[in-house]
Amino acid sequence: MTVKKPWILLIFAITCLFCGFGLYWRAASQKTLRLARTSMATSSPKRIISLAPNITEILFELGLGEKIVAVSSDSDYPAEAAEKKKVGTFWQPNTEAVIAAKPDLVITLWFEQQKAVADSLRRLGYQVLLLRIEKIQELLTAIEKIGEATGCHQGADELVGKITGRMNNLRLKLDATDKIKVLWVVQSEPLRVAGRNTFVNELIELAGGENAVGPTIQQYPLIGTEQLISCEAEVIIQSAMGTSSITEQQRAAEAFWSKRPNLAAVKNNRIYVVDSDMVLRLGPRLPQGVEMIASCLYPDIFKQKPAAVHPVTPKGVLWRNLQFFGILPVHRISNGVQLTR
Amino acid sequence: MAELLTSKKLAIKVVLCLAVLAVVMGFCALKGTEKISLTKVFAGPGENTDYDIFVGVRLPRIILAALVGAALACSGVALQAILRNPLADPYILGISSGAGLGVIIAILSGISWSFWGGSPMAVFAFAGSLATVWLVWYVGRFAGKSQVTSLLLAGVVVNAFFSAVIMFLTSVANSQQLRATIYWLMGNITEKDWSVLLISAACILAGITGLFTICHRLNVLSFGEEQAKKLGVNTERTRVLAFGFAAFITAIAVSLSGLIGFVGLIIPHAVRLVFGPDHRQLLPLSAITGSTFLVIADTLARTVFGQEQLPVGVITAIAGGPFFLVLLARYSRKVSWLK
Amino acid sequence: MSGIIKVENLSFGYTPQNTILKNLSFEVVPGAFVGIAGPNGAGKTTLLNLLCGLLSSDAGSIRIAAADIDSYSVKELARKAAVVASEFVPVFDFTVEETVMMGRTPYLGTFGFESEADRQIAVEALNATDTGHFASRPLGSLSSGERQRVFIARALAQNADILLLDEPTSFLDLKHQVGIYDLLKATQVEKGKTIVTVTHDINLAAQYCDKILLLGADGTYEYGCAGDIFSPEQIKKVFGVRVFVGKVGREKFFIPLGKFSKDSRQISEKANNDGPAGTLP
Repeated sequence: MTVKKPWILLIFAITCLFCGFGLYWRAASQKTLRLARTSMATSSPKRIISLAPNITEILFELGLGEKIVAVSSDSDYPAEAAEKKKVGTFWQPNTEAVIAAKPDLVITLWFEQQKAVADSLRRLGYQVLLLRIEKIQELLTAIEKIGEATGCHQGADELVGKITGRMNNLRLKLDATDKIKVLWVVQSEPLRVAGRNTFVNELIELAGGENAVGPTIQQYPLIGTEQLISCEAEVIIQSAMGTSSITEQQRAAEAFWSKRPNLAAVKNNRIYVVDSDMVLRLGPRLPQGVEMIASCLYPDIFKQKPAAVHPVTPKGVLWRNLQFFGILPVHRISNGVQLTR
Repeated sequence: MAELLTSKKLAIKVVLCLAVLAVVMGFCALKGTEKISLTKVFAGPGENTDYDIFVGVRLPRIILAALVGAALACSGVALQAILRNPLADPYILGISSGAGLGVIIAILSGISWSFWGGSPMAVFAFAGSLATVWLVWYVGRFAGKSQVTSLLLAGVVVNAFFSAVIMFLTSVANSQQLRATIYWLMGNITEKDWSVLLISAACILAGITGLFTICHRLNVLSFGEEQAKKLGVNTERTRVLAFGFAAFITAIAVSLSGLIGFVGLIIPHAVRLVFGPDHRQLLPLSAITGSTFLVIADTLARTVFGQEQLPVGVITAIAGGPFFLVLLARYSRKVSWLK
Repeated sequence: MSGIIKVENLSFGYTPQNTILKNLSFEVVPGAFVGIAGPNGAGKTTLLNLLCGLLSSDAGSIRIAAADIDSYSVKELARKAAVVASEFVPVFDFTVEETVMMGRTPYLGTFGFESEADRQIAVEALNATDTGHFASRPLGSLSSGERQRVFIARALAQNADILLLDEPTSFLDLKHQVGIYDLLKATQVEKGKTIVTVTHDINLAAQYCDKILLLGADGTYEYGCAGDIFSPEQIKKVFGVRVFVGKVGREKFFIPLGKFSKDSRQISEKANNDGPAGTLP
């Protein structure tokens, strides 16, 4: 039956008309957006909103802390940041709250959710700065861009200089040493480590180490006990994820690694639990993070010794095996020293 | 003999329900984490944050929620009819895994340029859903006698395969990409450009109208292939049309707001319990009920915890369950297969 | 006068090795009441499905109202022929009146809203089948016999020239069995419709049908008046069962006789003494 009723064609035509009009409208509004972006105000903004914790840290480092009117809920450093008004989470910023805070400049990161918020703010005529911060070089570029947007060129240059300076110093200190093999554990059950093509790997290499895990397809592969033993890691670093305190994480790590007393890193008490906020957040504290990792790897070179986790490794082979098979309980001696930031 | 459903009676019911929807939308537009006053809004654009919030953030969100709710509910109605299965929902024939695959490919490939209508994720999700639906339809044609059973089986197979691919890609992704994918898929109502809303509204309304033209045939199709043919219904064409329109509006809804669950499954049942199974009535009323439901759910999602915005899918699941139980308790006499 | 249903050399099999219908030819004149009888597996339901367009023949032709059956669209065919078969109840609960209203589907416009005239026809159909008093009950809540009458009402509402029925009285009680056949006869006589019904009940068929098509399991068939077709020899040949022929007034009736019938010599003395003597074939 191919009887075409006229009103079907009518509905189809009307829909196409609306779609066509919509597409034209969209193209036109994109053009005005592009024009608006290029003619961004160069005067220094007085009310700034940051939607990411590392951006907040950069702003405070540049001395713009007073001008920040609102931040995302996970901006917790420095302490003053925690007292600012919150406008939603890192993953779902609250556009309404951002608008209500009457910002002159909003700074966001590049990923989809924040980009969408940035787009809708732009459409409403607000100034938005979108930054991509996924590598160290991008961090430095971002600091420059923030400096430009806020009129703090000098401050930005100084900060960039400070960071690169500290990194260079570190490199000089570690130049002479052999690279230490590091295994970076991101998750203990199941055992998941950071592979070669991750930001973590960059940190390890900057700290003068070498990732014990070879090149893998997955960024954060699961590894089995065989690989654990064969990778011959000299140092194991566990990044503290989640909200439990460092002490709790240390205790958990002790219990975990005590079950594997045959590993070199365990025998030599070279297991460290680090605070991921400082170390993994690509922000102005990056050099401190790298230094902390370096101090885990080369405790002799650095003054501040990090507190290691001490899993108990009994002397005799028999005892060790009995512990391994769960016949003897594992004694825990907690070191109890919190890692200082 | 009892009431006959005439176009006049249906029109009255639809208008009444639309009025309720309009009231709900208006009410919800006034709710949010920030206090605004209507008088300030009417002062017009300019340095007017109240206006920006009301017209720039809340209205687009509410309209989007209404559109997506209508699309998902109607798709659920159509699919439950042609699959003759009360547990069918809009994602049953591969749309969820197709959209997921499209999204994760878009994120991993790092494409950042946006197409006319939306972000690359939206476009890939749309393309992914439609491609998967086509694949399921194609596979279903070859898999045995009963069209309905073979469609369902093909859907299960395709879903399983695509889920495996998604799982692999997920393991390769870094944590930020991963969370971006998950958040996208969880289903979110966000503010969109007005032009995007216009295009989506045109397409969704066209799709719903298309479904409306075959509603009386969907009634007959409930009695089975053979009976429908004997009553003069071209079952193949009806199935293709129903499937095609349902997949189209669902793909648009998914590309706009991710996978919001529960709406497509529960709203048709709720409306059927109250108004009966006649699809000519079920479809438009489900559309309006779906809109209302999602508008309310979205409003709750963005206000109930203050600055912590919940994904709307959480609210639809929590609210939908008990709501359905209450309806069921009151009207269980009407539904024979539940006895 | 050409027949409203004309079947010529029809052959059909579900598999190529197993043809059920072989070179079947018969013609049904308009306004006739035809019964199709035969043992299980003879192809009665298959023939009915072929006549209403659900199956297509391997060879031969079927003409409905002087046009080949393939030339009809689904909708046009539904206006010409209405079918009642054993139907299943849908998952979604439609009421009796909604179900009967669906009989008007071949006549509805694009959006499928019925007119007052359609409603009238449906009401008439409900009353004719004595189903009006539970019109607003859901279909699933009825007994199978009541449901069958509803489906018959739906076919009547379809207002087609031909009514094809597949064992319409299988679930019905005596009163309704006769009632349905009376209704069909009335439809034939008053409205001039053509009725073709498959039946296992040869007595009712003999009583009501003008012509009988007797299909054999081996593909043979007989077509003629009831009086000619139904004879004890034919029945023994086609069904493989002995029957007892009796006459009450002008009505002939057949009773099948099995091993344990009272006239059989194989039973005990006691039964023999008790049972009345009838005339053996």
